[in-house]
Amino acid sequence: MPFERKSELLVRAMLRDAIRRMASGWRKNLICAALIGTTFLTVPPPARADDPIKIGSIFDLTGDLNIYGIQQSRGLHLAVDKINEDGGLLGRKVEIVESDAQSQQAKYTQYANTLLMRDHISALFAGLTSSAREAIRPIARRANIPYFYSSLYEGGACDKQTFVTGPSASQQLGVLIPWAIKTYGRRLFVMAPDYNFGTISTEWIRKYAADNQAEVIGTDILPLTVTDYSPTIQKIQQAKPDVVVALPVGANQTGFLEQFAAAGLKQKIGLVSTNYGSGNQQIALSVDAARGIAVSPEYVSSAKSPQNEAFKQAWQTKFQTTDPIIGPAVDVWNAALLWASAVKKAGTIDSDKVIAALESGLSLDSPNGAITLDARSHHLVQSIFIAKGNDKRDFDIIETHDRVGPAFEQKVCDLIAQPQLAKHFTSLNDAKSR
Amino acid sequence: MSDCEVTDLSLPRRKRDALLAHRGFWIALLLVGALAAGASCVDSYLAYVATSWVIFGLLGLSLDLIWGRAGVLSLGQTAFFGIGGYLGSVAAINLAPLTGNTLICSGPVGSLAGACIAGLVGWLIFFGRMGALQATILTYTVTLIIWTSAVSFHATVGAAVIGGDNGLADIPPYVVEFGNMATPLGPNGMLACTILIAGGAYLLSASLMRSPFGLLVDCVRLNAEKTELLGYDTRKIQFLLFVLAGSIAGLAGALFGHWANYLTPSVFSVQEGLLVPIYVLVGGRGTLAGPFVGALLVGGLSFWLGGGVIGGQTTLVMGLGLMLLVLFVEGGVIGAVTSLFAKGNRLRALGTETEGEHRHPSLAALKHIARQDSDGSLEARAIVRRFGGITPVNGVSLTFQRGRVYCLIGPNGAGKSTFLRCCMGSHTLSEGEIMLAGKRATTWRTFERARAGLGVKMQTPQIFDELSVAQNLWVAAYQVERDRRAADRKVAAILSTIGLVARAQFRAGELSHGQQQWLDIGMVLCMSPAVIMLDEPAAGMTAVERAVLASMIRELATSAAVIVVEHDMDFVRSLEAETIVLHQGELFARGSIEELRRNEAVLDIYLGRRRHVRTT
Amino acid sequence: MEVDLVAITLISAVASAAVLLIATLGLAVVFGLMGVINLAHGEFIMLGAYAALLSTRAGLPFWAAIIVAVVLAAAFGAMVELLLIRRLYSRILDTMLATWGLSLVLYQAAVVVFGAVTPGLGFSFSSVNIGAYGISAYLLVLIAVAALLTAALYLLLTRTSYGVLARAAVQDPQMSAAIGIDAARINTATFALGSGLAGFAGAVLLPIVPATPGMGFAFVVKAFLGVVIAGPLALSGTVMAIGVLGALSNITASVWSAVFGDLLFFGATIALLRVFPQGISQSWRMKL
Repeated sequence: MPFERKSELLVRAMLRDAIRRMASGWRKNLICAALIGTTFLTVPPPARADDPIKIGSIFDLTGDLNIYGIQQSRGLHLAVDKINEDGGLLGRKVEIVESDAQSQQAKYTQYANTLLMRDHISALFAGLTSSAREAIRPIARRANIPYFYSSLYEGGACDKQTFVTGPSASQQLGVLIPWAIKTYGRRLFVMAPDYNFGTISTEWIRKYAADNQAEVIGTDILPLTVTDYSPTIQKIQQAKPDVVVALPVGANQTGFLEQFAAAGLKQKIGLVSTNYGSGNQQIALSVDAARGIAVSPEYVSSAKSPQNEAFKQAWQTKFQTTDPIIGPAVDVWNAALLWASAVKKAGTIDSDKVIAALESGLSLDSPNGAITLDARSHHLVQSIFIAKGNDKRDFDIIETHDRVGPAFEQKVCDLIAQPQLAKHFTSLNDAKSR
Repeated sequence: MSDCEVTDLSLPRRKRDALLAHRGFWIALLLVGALAAGASCVDSYLAYVATSWVIFGLLGLSLDLIWGRAGVLSLGQTAFFGIGGYLGSVAAINLAPLTGNTLICSGPVGSLAGACIAGLVGWLIFFGRMGALQATILTYTVTLIIWTSAVSFHATVGAAVIGGDNGLADIPPYVVEFGNMATPLGPNGMLACTILIAGGAYLLSASLMRSPFGLLVDCVRLNAEKTELLGYDTRKIQFLLFVLAGSIAGLAGALFGHWANYLTPSVFSVQEGLLVPIYVLVGGRGTLAGPFVGALLVGGLSFWLGGGVIGGQTTLVMGLGLMLLVLFVEGGVIGAVTSLFAKGNRLRALGTETEGEHRHPSLAALKHIARQDSDGSLEARAIVRRFGGITPVNGVSLTFQRGRVYCLIGPNGAGKSTFLRCCMGSHTLSEGEIMLAGKRATTWRTFERARAGLGVKMQTPQIFDELSVAQNLWVAAYQVERDRRAADRKVAAILSTIGLVARAQFRAGELSHGQQQWLDIGMVLCMSPAVIMLDEPAAGMTAVERAVLASMIRELATSAAVIVVEHDMDFVRSLEAETIVLHQGELFARGSIEELRRNEAVLDIYLGRRRHVRTT
Repeated sequence: MEVDLVAITLISAVASAAVLLIATLGLAVVFGLMGVINLAHGEFIMLGAYAALLSTRAGLPFWAAIIVAVVLAAAFGAMVELLLIRRLYSRILDTMLATWGLSLVLYQAAVVVFGAVTPGLGFSFSSVNIGAYGISAYLLVLIAVAALLTAALYLLLTRTSYGVLARAAVQDPQMSAAIGIDAARINTATFALGSGLAGFAGAVLLPIVPATPGMGFAFVVKAFLGVVIAGPLALSGTVMAIGVLGALSNITASVWSAVFGDLLFFGATIALLRVFPQGISQSWRMKL
């Protein structure tokens, strides 16, 4: 080792030792305390009366679930633009305070609390997964502000502050399963993600199958991180079903559909889903894999109606894209407009009055048809479509079912008669025990 | 030199350290109290978020203990954090109706849970003799296993329902009052309470790290092999620290449950797990208070950016920040800030090298240095050691008794160092037995042999380069004396023997090679060994130093067995030793050096001649 | 038990191991030869996938797209080595953290540039029947690809002068420098090789794993574990570790569930680390 280098090392070593000795004393504590103390100096300014009405939004703008979240956020922005263009609410503009949950569960609760405590929002639009919703529900309840959950889900959420504009399992599966049995056969196999949405939906599929003299002959419940679907495909081939009900969540599980087609199974077995397409997964799939998958969404982008045309026009102008618009985006749009009309009806942003207005039977002509907010269950009565994937990375509508009510929720959840109810009805047994 | 002159030099720093520690301790305590008091006058939203930063800082503290001080990067701290959170919350949900106070249920349960899991993992790592990388991977894998299982794990424990990916909901908040009418704390109270708990954990840890145990932890990080050679069970030291760190992480988890009111398996996720080293690095690794600063900065940044329009800047900034940190900033924020203050360099200059000023050894002291409880014997019975295709030691039987100096010589590749390592315990024997002080030591580990009186000095000086000379000796002496005052006295005596009194406060890493050799020898002496093995001790020494060393060895041999491996024949002669020649792993010849020099066979093997040597 | 079920299970297991092996080889080269743990490996795979995807959509045939992916990934890898990795040699845990930071940046950049959902490949492959069961023909192709790739790597690293120099530079950098080997340039080349292999993996797996910004993550965890268990002989150790663990985990997933498959993989990792602290190939006698 050359001499200069060694002495340089020596000097550096001496300095490091000095630093370490400095750092290992009380000075370090002083520095820490100073650093920590300076953060406590920030204080937000007080609010004024003619300030905009603030609403909070938390969606997954990044991460594996952003195939849904980005569009949900856009739906909200488009709706708020429309509200403000129409003169705002009570003479005030509406402003969105937005957070990105980054597809991480923990961020939902954190940002919900922040939006409530720091920004004093009047309404909250948040969540995609059921886990996120279940985490936010108690927070919204404690703060007593209306919370809108706008995504398809397994059903059963019952809470005075919570309003659901996404379709529930009883709505979607209640239409899809009888159609699938009639079209393909009586032996069903279910592929579902490993959390409450997947597992509870699977129970619903069993029920509807039994109601229609059919049977679920096998299931595979998969964590969201799996990419190798060959075990699932093998299980399917072993069970020899007539139709597979797949509920892929996130970008990873889209791979299942590709591998299903690659194994040559689509010739023999039908493939149906409630949530495929709700994240524009059909764009990522090859045409062979996408063709013929049947879905039962609450909104199809290619539907022809004046409201939908106007909506798509506004969307394409604002966001400069011709990608299909997904169901959750329209669900959020519906939620925002319903909230706005409730505020106008109540004449105030006071939560109790707004909630009462929301429970007075509001209706709307929406891009996905006529919708009504069911007062007692806080869910939507809306259209459910049966659509099939075509060769153009989009869907063709095969059947339209108008005014499908949330049958299960209407049965178990009456928030006008029982306003203190705060529960997630998760299984059919729950309903029986009421 | 009189005793009290010597003690003046070696002790005062310890006393100064102790004083400073005391003062530092009280100042830190005051600061924690001030922060906690300040917490009550802060905006409630900020208090709410800041509570999570303090909790993550506490988690970071657990990693800093095990990584910054013990040198093991554990990616499993979030596993202990999550398990502590889940179990502590289950306890709180079930017991809070009884006690009112929730922390008193969740805190102990969380810490204990964290400690137990850490104990299991620590047993796998430290008693399995894994390398650093394997240890890190093992902790990472443990976290992966817990994460994968947690997503599908459903259980109902009393009133608590764990729902797999849906997690554990309805966890009660912070309640510090007792009884039925206890009300939960508001955000400011939560923050103050968390600061107090975290501050307490920090002060405990910092005090522990100043104790002899803490010094040993540093030693294990600096040179684990040497620490074991001094007779310490390094596995136990690391294991205990790991369990402590696990319990701190578990406590943080329990607090987190109360803060978030909702726990899901995402607490075990890989992304969260890799955040913890970031906290430690940002604040300053090894400082113990650094993780709090790091968590505050990272949490604050992530929060401030993440609330923006299209997020993702957080991830980008963190990624960039991590890269820059690792590349350029080694001391973290604390290191960078304190270096601004490091103008007046408190270190002494290297000073003038004066030869001969050092050693007037009181060799008389060496007569009684060996411990009394050992008969000073080491016996190797037909030991064989095989590696793959070669056999460096092939059936060597030797007995060493106190009262003599033995020299092992032989050409390169004769197996001398391997033989030494077999006696030490670094290599396990393929065949044969080692007897130490009459007891069968073949299966003993290195530290057990050291405790039985075997002192070894390896070829390259094995020292703790970041500690001072006095601290190096102290660590060696403490193992035997087990009392601070007695160890101090021994250090003082040995310092004068090896002639490093003037350098007592120098960093050992700055000594010259020869001085480091002396330090290494001094550490061996501090162990009061009954059998001493020295591997080329005279390498790098001047002629004068060799003479001193030779007389030292002769003096030591009166009460201990001294075995010296050497190449320098003049040095060997000055030792007046019984000389043993090894060749190709076998005992070749023995006798006095003069006899051997007349032995043709010995000359043959050194010169590579074939005449008297059988070829294998 | 039906014969064709057993056959399909085994073939699936081998195919699954082959897929994982293709994704892991780049990391094995980088770790085994350079001692660098590149946690951004998954993002390099992702880069290769996107490069190939965009090339096919621009009109190139698939085989040409794969070449584009490899070249781009290798070039990017060389750049990363020059700017980042080179400064962190012998600081293995620091390279881990720094490359993890890099992976965050790359992932985020991909989300911003490519968005969440990108149109897929647009062509698919036929299936092959084994008794009553079908399996994608492409999976069988991948088994062959994995075998050929491993063989090619082995030859490259043991028979060519580059290979010998690379192994020398790793085993004894100072000695190599003393005899005139430019270790720095060799290391850049090796890292580029590893990155190129990752790009190849992303491109070649495109028909079965859709290109998304987060696609690398699922692979990198198991690849990482496999490479550490492999031990000093990077290539043969990795083949054995990934081959056995990947196949067993796939079979477990087929018989029980995906969760158990993963748990088996991780549990076996811990057991192997305990029994072979230096890796499973620590006492093997092969060259690589």
